[in-house]
Amino acid sequence: MKLNMAREHLVVIGNGMAGVKTVENILEQAPDRYQITIVGAEPYPNYNRIQLSYVLEKSKAIEDIILNDWDWYRENGIELYTGTKVTDIDTTMKRITTDNGTLIAYDKLVLATGSTPFMLDIPGADKQGIVGFRDIKDCETMLQAADQYKKAAVIGGGLLGLEAAKGLLKLGMDVTVVHLFDDIMERQLDHTASSMLQAELETQGIKFATGKKTVAYLGDGDRVAGLQFSDGSELEAEFVVMAAGIRPNTELALAAGLEVNRGIVVDDYMRTSAPDVYAVGECNEHRGISYGLVAPLFEQGAVLARHLCGVETEPYAGTVMSTQLKISGVDVFSAGEFTDAPGLTVVRMHDEWRRIYKKILLRGGRIIGGVLVGDGKSAARLQQWIRTGTVMTDAIHDTLMGAVEAAGGNSVADIADEEIVCGCNGVTKKRIVDVIQERGFTTVEEIKLSTGASRSCGGCRPVVEQILKHVLGDKYDSAAAKQEGICSCTTLSKDEVVRNIKEKGLITSQEVRYALGWENEEGCSKCRPALNYYLGMIWPAEHVDERDSRFVNERMHANIQKDGTFGVVPRMYGGLTTPEDLRLIADVAVKYNVKLVKVTGGQRLDLLGIQREDVPKIWEELGMPSGYAYAKALRTVKTCVGSQFCRFGTKDSIDMGIQLEKRFERLDMPAKFKMAVNGCPRNCAESATKDLGIVGNEGAWEIYVGGNGGIKARLAELMCKVRTDEEVMEIVAAFIQYYRETANYLERTSDWIERIGLTKVIQTVVEDADSRRELVERINAALQQVKEPWRDILDNQKLKEQLFDEIQAPSGRQ
Amino acid sequence: MANSYDYRSVGPVDQFPQRMGRVVRMEGQEIAVFHTTDGKLYALENRSPGPKGGTIVEGIVSGEVLFDPICDWKINLADGQVLAPDSGQVRSYPVKVEDGQVSIGVPEKADGKREG
Repeated sequence: MKLNMAREHLVVIGNGMAGVKTVENILEQAPDRYQITIVGAEPYPNYNRIQLSYVLEKSKAIEDIILNDWDWYRENGIELYTGTKVTDIDTTMKRITTDNGTLIAYDKLVLATGSTPFMLDIPGADKQGIVGFRDIKDCETMLQAADQYKKAAVIGGGLLGLEAAKGLLKLGMDVTVVHLFDDIMERQLDHTASSMLQAELETQGIKFATGKKTVAYLGDGDRVAGLQFSDGSELEAEFVVMAAGIRPNTELALAAGLEVNRGIVVDDYMRTSAPDVYAVGECNEHRGISYGLVAPLFEQGAVLARHLCGVETEPYAGTVMSTQLKISGVDVFSAGEFTDAPGLTVVRMHDEWRRIYKKILLRGGRIIGGVLVGDGKSAARLQQWIRTGTVMTDAIHDTLMGAVEAAGGNSVADIADEEIVCGCNGVTKKRIVDVIQERGFTTVEEIKLSTGASRSCGGCRPVVEQILKHVLGDKYDSAAAKQEGICSCTTLSKDEVVRNIKEKGLITSQEVRYALGWENEEGCSKCRPALNYYLGMIWPAEHVDERDSRFVNERMHANIQKDGTFGVVPRMYGGLTTPEDLRLIADVAVKYNVKLVKVTGGQRLDLLGIQREDVPKIWEELGMPSGYAYAKALRTVKTCVGSQFCRFGTKDSIDMGIQLEKRFERLDMPAKFKMAVNGCPRNCAESATKDLGIVGNEGAWEIYVGGNGGIKARLAELMCKVRTDEEVMEIVAAFIQYYRETANYLERTSDWIERIGLTKVIQTVVEDADSRRELVERINAALQQVKEPWRDILDNQKLKEQLFDEIQAPSGRQ
Repeated sequence: MANSYDYRSVGPVDQFPQRMGRVVRMEGQEIAVFHTTDGKLYALENRSPGPKGGTIVEGIVSGEVLFDPICDWKINLADGQVLAPDSGQVRSYPVKVEDGQVSIGVPEKADGKREG
């Protein structure tokens, strides 16, 4: 053991991702080499700044994005000052001064001071309500603003600006992105890709003001009220987020006499102009470039750490920039060069129908850049190919442009050891290979938990998997199966579970868990509902539904709301009702003080804000069947007016809708299931976004499947065309049963159909008459077992009490 | 000072279905009572420890563990402790079963007043 005194003192200014990553690398290489002190201005331990957009859209809490908690600093013997600013660096005396007057001497100093958002210096810049999007504090300000204000403007249509805009939109704000250039993300995308991205974001609800230069902030009072553009036009805005670039934080370095351009100038080993002073990350400038993304800062940190530990290292030679937009529903990737230029070979594919655009640029046959929109599946591999300057081959071309899967991929062998595979968490290939070899890991999950690789955006998961495959070789297959368990209680996949249930004749979920060696005797919140579904699907007559394994809404047959009240939605078959029914609903709503009566997207009425104990009373008084608005089952069959009244209608869509809804209601499915029936191709009932949509034509019905209007929108595809109503019923029955039997629990038809393939579905449901007949027989058997759930609960006094009545404890002492 | 509790009777055991929570109101407090497969009864404050709030009575019960219906955290029914990788604690109340009758205890303070 070396004595503390013998250790050199390393001081890091900046407790962000660049500084702490450098320290992590040092601790890995030479844990005893330095006594380490970190000084940070923010009051938090190191967190994942690139995930602030998740905090903003509330999909993650602040705790979720902490990378190194307080314990980590303690365990590694690091002295940490948070909420502390460094005010002076004395490079001669080799010491720094903090804002509370503390002097700290150093042997080596690392500046990792990051950057600040670029703020416009225009009239009104001192008004309130103008913030950058940089740290947790900004994020909190934005969350507060969303509660108080409605109209937001984001200045800057780059990566950060768009993520901020999406976050504010999700918080319910009316958001306009203001951009200086005509194309958004013009530094990463060409015109075509940029237009596609903008169109996609517009459909999500973001507005754009492009080609606009902001010249003043408007507003009479202290608070900003709008923006004034150079062309004279104005935009109303009560809240402005600046995302028009960043400025390296260089004040400290300048004052200390270091060479500073745009950033603190460093060489290929992150050395500044002063001896023993280094700069890493967004605050520096390397070969004329100040980077603002995470991957370069990790690569710099790795080089600097090796240099500081006296380990031989390749010099840092700059980073191939790549960009992936972290916005749900938008798949955009860009890396390396992206604009056409003389001397470059362009491989281009633009599918306007599927809204996919791919462009790969080659110089001398080598891949040097590319843009992917709408299909990011090969993004991780493309990035590796660009990094390594791989020569385009037929196989790579097929992978990128065609529907063909990559041929095993020997590409991971080409990745250099020190190259970063996971850009979000700065994990190199070597690190991954090491943990596989040294710790005997066999799954991506284990690698993720240990190294952080693929933990954040998940984009590199395929590469991590390929590395695992490459290292394990023949042993990989058995390993692969291990990670497909339906939950952490078992290593068995859904298909294996289903096969065992059938072969071994298991009827209850307890039997399944016991016979198949579940780790957790009573299962977990993932497998309990799933097993209950699979058992009910396989043994419709024998399996007794396990109410305690259902999620709350299905357990109570009502929709629980955020305040603990409930929603009740009675059936309105095909969206058809009568004056008598409407009157009854209105009377009940008044009697029970229903807070809100809403017409749903599925053509019926939702009574909201009902007290728990009133729910069964309302069922009783309505006397209508449950609309299953809470269930993984058929929700509604939306219909248009059809031939009964509509001048264009060629088919009686209402009648068909009612027939379908009555026939297939109440049957459990893997996920919710929505249908629509249209009397003509004008499609007023919107078949294209339903799990199953029917469109009437003269003399025929067209049946579309796999549509989804939800989180991941997908257009339904034509499965077949049939002539008679009976054929519709039969095909729909066979389709639903095939979906019930082969989908994973919670898998919507849109994902299921992409996994199984439409061709296979058509073969099984439409072309193969035998299999169709068998499917219909099985669904009929299942349909015989369904019961009206509201009546069922009302008829069972004890169950009704247990589900809906609260127990009042007597007050006072016994 | 040893904790002393003031127990209130809340009815027979069979009012509490196994593996499904039930709400009990006691002096303005909402308590979720759970009955495990092993026949044990537990009482927790009906409030999710997670960041999104909400109630826990609707959660899935597995052995001695409750899965929070909102954030899917795992809560130890016996003491309300949130299990790793998450952390936190839900307030728990002692439960007694005598002659098939369930009663729940509210802590009593030294001056005889109960905690609110």
